Amino acid sequence: MSSQRYDQLIADLRSDYRPQREWGEGKGVLMVAGHFLVGVAGGTWLMSSIYDVPVGLTVAFALGCLGAIAHLLFLGKPMRAFKMVRHLRTSWISRGFVGLSMFLVGSGMWLAIYFLGLGGPWLPLTLFAKALAAIGTVIIIGYMGFCYTASKGIPFWQSPLHPALYIAYALRGGIAALLVISAVTGVLPGDWLLQLWIGITTVVCLFFVLELHGAATGGNVAARRSVHDMLAGRLAHLFYGGTLTIGLLVPLLLLVLPSAPSATTMALIGLTSAASDFFMKLSTVRAGVYLPLRRIPQTAT
Amino acid sequence: MRWGMVIDLKRCIGCYGCQLSCKAEHGTPPGVFFARLLKQEEGKYPSVRQMFLPVLCNHCTDAPCVEVCPTEASHYCEGGIVDIDPDKCIGCRACMMACPYNNRYFNAEQSWYFGDAGPTPYELARTERHQTGVVMKCNFCAPRLAEGKLPACVANCPTTARHFGDLEDPNSNVSRLIKDRGGFTLHPEAGTSPNVYYLAP
Repeated sequence: MSSQRYDQLIADLRSDYRPQREWGEGKGVLMVAGHFLVGVAGGTWLMSSIYDVPVGLTVAFALGCLGAIAHLLFLGKPMRAFKMVRHLRTSWISRGFVGLSMFLVGSGMWLAIYFLGLGGPWLPLTLFAKALAAIGTVIIIGYMGFCYTASKGIPFWQSPLHPALYIAYALRGGIAALLVISAVTGVLPGDWLLQLWIGITTVVCLFFVLELHGAATGGNVAARRSVHDMLAGRLAHLFYGGTLTIGLLVPLLLLVLPSAPSATTMALIGLTSAASDFFMKLSTVRAGVYLPLRRIPQTAT
Repeated sequence: MRWGMVIDLKRCIGCYGCQLSCKAEHGTPPGVFFARLLKQEEGKYPSVRQMFLPVLCNHCTDAPCVEVCPTEASHYCEGGIVDIDPDKCIGCRACMMACPYNNRYFNAEQSWYFGDAGPTPYELARTERHQTGVVMKCNFCAPRLAEGKLPACVANCPTTARHFGDLEDPNSNVSRLIKDRGGFTLHPEAGTSPNVYYLAP
């Protein structure tokens, strides 16, 4: 442990509100990047399946692979990753690992069948690959929020809205990816995608505001501290700069431009939307502080 | 049998004996504290008093760290002790986020207390056995218990503020202390049923 890291840990242990630094700082950014990439992969696979965009399916698979690599690089012992299948009964990380494996195998098989022309759409192998990818998609879109909600040490993440927010992020990421793909290939009409993007962005903003409001008004001292850190403390630059400015203001300005949405505008909206999701996740993860321990009752309870 | 600890805050003088004896027993690397001491000042001048809160893994009966561990590395041992199998741990650190008492530490890399001077012979003997890239925590000195000894922090507490015993035995010292003096746990609202109790100062 470097002396700087050691000093930081000692300072954290002495503070009343110890911030968690394992997820989201240093190598921990890989964990957030992994969640972000896997979420976008799930959303992109889902949206591309609905609108039948093979390029989108390929992008989803690539993003899923990158997300898996980011997750592996984050682990202290990546060579033991296969052991994550052991605790499906209670661990959301186990479930996510199985879901991501199913997604990568299923989507990989389906893409190989499609691009190599190995079979028709109704052959058993094609259907099996599609089903595997579909089940994997549902799991990877859904599991991440529950990983955080299960973290009893970090009250800020325990909102019941957290899983719903992560599902909304994944859908928004999928639409953002389709915006970029459509801008490049022209495969889908821009107007329709932008309407979808506005709809899902409204849902994400609503969930996010409700979660912050819930933590600020109904949460315990640690949850309130997290909200303070995010809005007016050590993470304000990430929130206002990344989430609000890049992710919300820039796309809104692009949307209200007098000209019809061009391919460049669509691509920019897609990219800034994805960047916003990443910053939103990063600031939420970094805002996590542990429950303080120092409140000693003066009398026996 | 359910091992438990009672810490009498009235007796604790904040000497860090528990922290040091734990370090000596386990040879934990820099940045890893199975037992540590929190200090707190209360009141306003001139009516001020200093309070001490020794903390360690609470070996909860419903441990959230065991629940979230994807590899079953965090598990219950005999006597309800919550331990980590370092050969199963993948270093995902989910257990650290799940612990309401933040008493788990990630041993990121091999490191020594005297930096560039390298490890001391003592560190070589003790610290090298710990794997890097895994999470570590207190195990109530399970190897000492197997030899019929008390955990190091209990055996070395100079004011006998720490007591250790079977919480399921109503006649054990810990059960009687909890009953007689109204022992309390930290964060009971977390619903983890901790097995480390405190007696009010």
